[in-house]
Amino acid sequence: SQACDSWGIFTFLCAALCNLPALPALNCSEELGAGQSIQQTYDLTRYLEHQLRTLAGTYLNYLGPPFNEPDFNPPRMARAERVPSATVDLDLWRGLTDNARLAANYRAYSRLLCYLRVLDGQVGTAELRHRLSHFCASLQGLVLSIGGVMSSLGYPLPAGPVGPPGPPGASAAPNDFLKKMDDFWLLKELQTWLWRSAKDFNRLKKKVPPAVVTLRLEARGF
Amino acid sequence: MWKNSSLRCLLALAILCLRSLIYSQEIGSLGDPQNLKCVTHNLQKMLCTWDVSSRGRRGQTDFCYTTNDLTPQVCFKTKERRVEIPIPESSITVTIKSSGTATKEFVIHQKDISFVPITPHILSLMPDFPTSTLNLKWSDNGSVFPYGLDALWQIQILRKEPMEVVTQVTYYSKLTHEDVILSWNWTSDMPLECTSHYVKIRCYINATQFVGSKDWSDWSPTEVIPGKDTEPGESGVFPLDPVVAVGSDLTFCCVHEEDQRITNMTYGSKSYTMMQLSSRSHAIRVLNANVSNSSGTNVVCRLENAWEGSVVFVGYAPDTPQNLSCETPNFLIIKCTWKPGRPSGLYGERRTKYSLFERTSGRNVSCEVSGLNKDHVCDFPVLPAQKTYDFILGVSNPIGQAKSSLLVDITQRVHPKTPEKLTVTENNSTSIQLRWFINGSFAEIRLLCQLEISSSHSERKLQNVSTPGRKSSTYTAQVNELHPHTKYQFRVRCSDADHFWRWSDWSRGVEQTTSEAPPARGPDIWRERSPSGENVIVFWKPLSPSESNGIIVSHEVSCYLLDMLLEHKVVLEPSNSTEIKLGKSDCVISVVARNNAGSSPPSRITSVELPSDNVTTDQAVAVGNGINISWDSYPNMTCGYIVKWCHSSGSEPCSVDWQKFPSNTTSVVIKSALFKPGVRYNFSLYGCKSMGYQLLKNVTGYMKELPPKTAPNFIVEETSSDSILVKWEDIPIEECRGFFKRISSFLCKGEKDALKPRLSESGNPELKVNNITDLTKKSMKILDLQGKTSYQLELQAYTAGGLSPPNSLYVVTKEDSVGLIIAILIPVAVVVLLGVLASIFCYRKREWIKETFYPEIPNPENSKALQFQRNICEGNKTLKTLEMNPCTPNSVEVVETQSTAPKIEDTEMMSPAAETTVPEDGSESEMENHVVVSYCPPIIEEEISNPPTDEPGGSSQVVYIDIQSMYQPQIKPEEEPEIDLVTTAGYKPQMQLSISALKIEGHSPVEEELDKTAGYRPQANTNAWNMGTPDSPGSVESNNENASFGSPCSINSRQFLLPPKDDEDSPKPINTAWSFTHFFQNKPND
Repeated sequence: SQACDSWGIFTFLCAALCNLPALPALNCSEELGAGQSIQQTYDLTRYLEHQLRTLAGTYLNYLGPPFNEPDFNPPRMARAERVPSATVDLDLWRGLTDNARLAANYRAYSRLLCYLRVLDGQVGTAELRHRLSHFCASLQGLVLSIGGVMSSLGYPLPAGPVGPPGPPGASAAPNDFLKKMDDFWLLKELQTWLWRSAKDFNRLKKKVPPAVVTLRLEARGF
Repeated sequence: MWKNSSLRCLLALAILCLRSLIYSQEIGSLGDPQNLKCVTHNLQKMLCTWDVSSRGRRGQTDFCYTTNDLTPQVCFKTKERRVEIPIPESSITVTIKSSGTATKEFVIHQKDISFVPITPHILSLMPDFPTSTLNLKWSDNGSVFPYGLDALWQIQILRKEPMEVVTQVTYYSKLTHEDVILSWNWTSDMPLECTSHYVKIRCYINATQFVGSKDWSDWSPTEVIPGKDTEPGESGVFPLDPVVAVGSDLTFCCVHEEDQRITNMTYGSKSYTMMQLSSRSHAIRVLNANVSNSSGTNVVCRLENAWEGSVVFVGYAPDTPQNLSCETPNFLIIKCTWKPGRPSGLYGERRTKYSLFERTSGRNVSCEVSGLNKDHVCDFPVLPAQKTYDFILGVSNPIGQAKSSLLVDITQRVHPKTPEKLTVTENNSTSIQLRWFINGSFAEIRLLCQLEISSSHSERKLQNVSTPGRKSSTYTAQVNELHPHTKYQFRVRCSDADHFWRWSDWSRGVEQTTSEAPPARGPDIWRERSPSGENVIVFWKPLSPSESNGIIVSHEVSCYLLDMLLEHKVVLEPSNSTEIKLGKSDCVISVVARNNAGSSPPSRITSVELPSDNVTTDQAVAVGNGINISWDSYPNMTCGYIVKWCHSSGSEPCSVDWQKFPSNTTSVVIKSALFKPGVRYNFSLYGCKSMGYQLLKNVTGYMKELPPKTAPNFIVEETSSDSILVKWEDIPIEECRGFFKRISSFLCKGEKDALKPRLSESGNPELKVNNITDLTKKSMKILDLQGKTSYQLELQAYTAGGLSPPNSLYVVTKEDSVGLIIAILIPVAVVVLLGVLASIFCYRKREWIKETFYPEIPNPENSKALQFQRNICEGNKTLKTLEMNPCTPNSVEVVETQSTAPKIEDTEMMSPAAETTVPEDGSESEMENHVVVSYCPPIIEEEISNPPTDEPGGSSQVVYIDIQSMYQPQIKPEEEPEIDLVTTAGYKPQMQLSISALKIEGHSPVEEELDKTAGYRPQANTNAWNMGTPDSPGSVESNNENASFGSPCSINSRQFLLPPKDDEDSPKPINTAWSFTHFFQNKPND
């Protein structure tokens, strides 16, 4: 967890440095502006990216070989499409409006979160369960945060059920190996989505300058 | 028909001939029926077949048979060449007449008939894929056979492409004259999904009565269980997600598409060699499987562009639960606990599950246990009106199951919950009440509760309280006999009073400090008259915490004379004594200790001191850890004895301590932690009478004797020529540190200044030792000394603890006056006598003396005075005082050993880097011309023009030993530029001179010529010279340090400091100077 600490400190310092010029405008009582909530969402995304890196390592070890082997790269099976794929063509993605991109993010994380919760319930070891639920809580925060960004920008939240079709769980995968494969893809998709979201929010951040940026001291686990 | 025997014999012969013809027909008459064979399938009828030649194949055949002579022949016509006829008991005669052929007769005996059972048929073949088991069903066709025959069934299982027999088993059964469906199970070592499995069966009936040949039936038609490799589009690793016991041997197969190439198959992280089952199926075999990790072990089949897999869960069957124990904490639920034993290694839905079944009530409870706790717990509800419970704890997981049972009467297994809400209320200073609450309905039992009472002063006490149980109620208990003003901690725990099973946990502790009560007794007191006798000092000892019952705030001291209060005093803490002005009168002193709760009973003592006589003072030294004081019995001391002593510590008034003893005591040992070794304590023994106290005895004692700190101070009071009188003072008591034994003096001849060992230790044979054991003597005379002699005198004091350091003194005895007078008078008398004798001699020889010493005409040859004159004239040859030729002046020549000295310097002061770089840089070598050592400008010029040609001859020579060679360079090159040359006075090493010289900016040509001489530098503050001679040539030049070199002109030896001419060719000193210049000047520029 030393790496975790140092990462946390690094993130904090970066955030502090970024916001240093804006410090004179410190005003805690004012509601978070769009720029601010974008910045917050971006930070949360980066933090989740980091958190996922350690979680994925532990979880893949839990799944056992070959899932924890570095060169394990199975072709994505058709049935794994239950997990929302992030592999959208980049040009296509860029061509989307901010609203559509945010909505896609929102939908994707909502659904990933549902899968993650199922996964949490099945894990055999208490320690891993604890870490998974911690990550779930963080991801829930991200979904809310994206919702916040959308509403602050005046976009409507994506309507309709965001959960996966049918009840997820034991019935979803016909056998344990495919279930493990699903878990693997879930982690991989999460990683890709988080990476993409970080880029999205960064771009959005530049578009929407922060009106009032406060020095944030979120609970970062450090 | 056959009437006579001869005919019969004839017939028999004919039959014999016929029989032989059966086998000879093939070569015999062609077209006749031949090869009659009879086979039975059911032991009742037999099927006979024969061969016929081509001629006889058409048309009907007349078939007749007869079993014996008695039965009539049976005939029928048939178009086929087979007939079914009954099996004869012994033999049968058959006549076959085909159309167009001869009649052929056969005799068939039973042993010629073969028995082949009917081919069995598989009724059903059912696979069970999860268990890889096949179930085979077939009918034994027993109804056609007689009862009780043994049947053997051979079953063959085949698989693979091409088929291989996997197993062949023989199954036994008994025929019961009924058709029975037989069933047989077989578990495959390979999952049935992996490849097709084929099954066929045949039978053999062991008909013992039948004498003919018996044979196996034909194989039944093959039944097949198709594998997944036969289904199009099917793929995967099989078996799927099995749960197996540790140590099992496992076979996994990978079924894939026909066109897919299989890369490898792994179990866990290990790759296994594959065996091909079919074109679409490969298998691996894992032996002795280990416990899998919590998510199962992955079996992965890697295909060219896909991954197939399965997860194996290898674990243990559950252990039998151990130490199953059930108890009730509250009569609402029963808590059963057990140790699960070895972990199964299975998690999630495959984990070990527990259920609690109660047999009496038939109630079943499934237990949710967390795997984290070592002991598993399951709750079962208490059922109304049921005391005895018969529990069965069932344990199961996919691998196996176990159980454990317990019969328990819960009224005898009560383990109450921890008492809560413990509170304490005080009744009075020695009694409190405790209240606590226990959750649970204990109405049917009595509770036994244990109170723990602990305080810092006393040991932990336990008090048991038995109380009838109630439903979720508060219980109380009283605790008495507490000590006032004490902080107590209370805890409580409870159990079943009637059937003790277990104590509950201790409740949370509560603290309570009891209130104060009046002190339990009066203080221990003593009194003493003040030294003036006017006052009485009253002492008391503080009460112990257990006696004071609170915080003592004051003592009240009263003085009564016959019930009349003379004086009353209140002394606040922490004083432990007070003085009462009493004058010469006496009174009864009463002391009362008071705390916030009240006063103690008074302690009384009379001030009367009875006169005593013959008070002796004894000495005592502690034996063990106390000082022993004993006395004779005083019968009239009615109320005991008191030993009083002082803890004297130097100048301050001693703190009085005392101890009381009953009147029958005659010996006591006084102990105190305050007693120190080497300190004198004075004990006084008082006897107590009704009238007052009487001093009986004094004792001086030491806890331990130590050597005295110092020796006695002494002086020599009188000195004579043969004796001295020494007087000394007493040693202060504090420095004695023991009882004096003796004083020793040591005397020895010795001077004051000489360093000598202690006389007592020197072992000097002349040492005079005097021991004074009479300690009242304060002086001593030492006799038999020598006059006017220095003596060393030492004094040491002894105690039982050892001897003190010595005190020492030197004393000189007085001179012996008579001897002195004689010593003066004798030489005077001798001199006078000699003078008189000389006068007489001179007077007698006066003529001769005059002739010899004072003649009237002196003889020049004998004159010594004239000789002196002549010597002077001889020396004048060279002494030309008035000549203008100048004398050769005394000179100092410097003989420089330049050939070696600069070399040393070179190596010592130049860094290797400088050495290597310098010669390479040719341009820098010109610097040598700028090296200026200015030296004696005006006069030197003159002297150089006249250099001394012959140095070794004539003039005195001062050999100037090269200072450079002695100079050890101590300055690092880097530090060199920082040298403050102005402040460094005294001797300067010669090379440093040249370095400093380099700092000069401008130079005169003369100086440039002279610069090569790494010159001498005077050993004085150059700065001072500079200041002192402002018009010296150096100072004209510049104000820098180089100017100082002009000044030494006045030194006589200056011209010899220049090296000889031939030495100037030697480049070394120049080189040295240059190289340093180069090194230091260029370094910063590099």
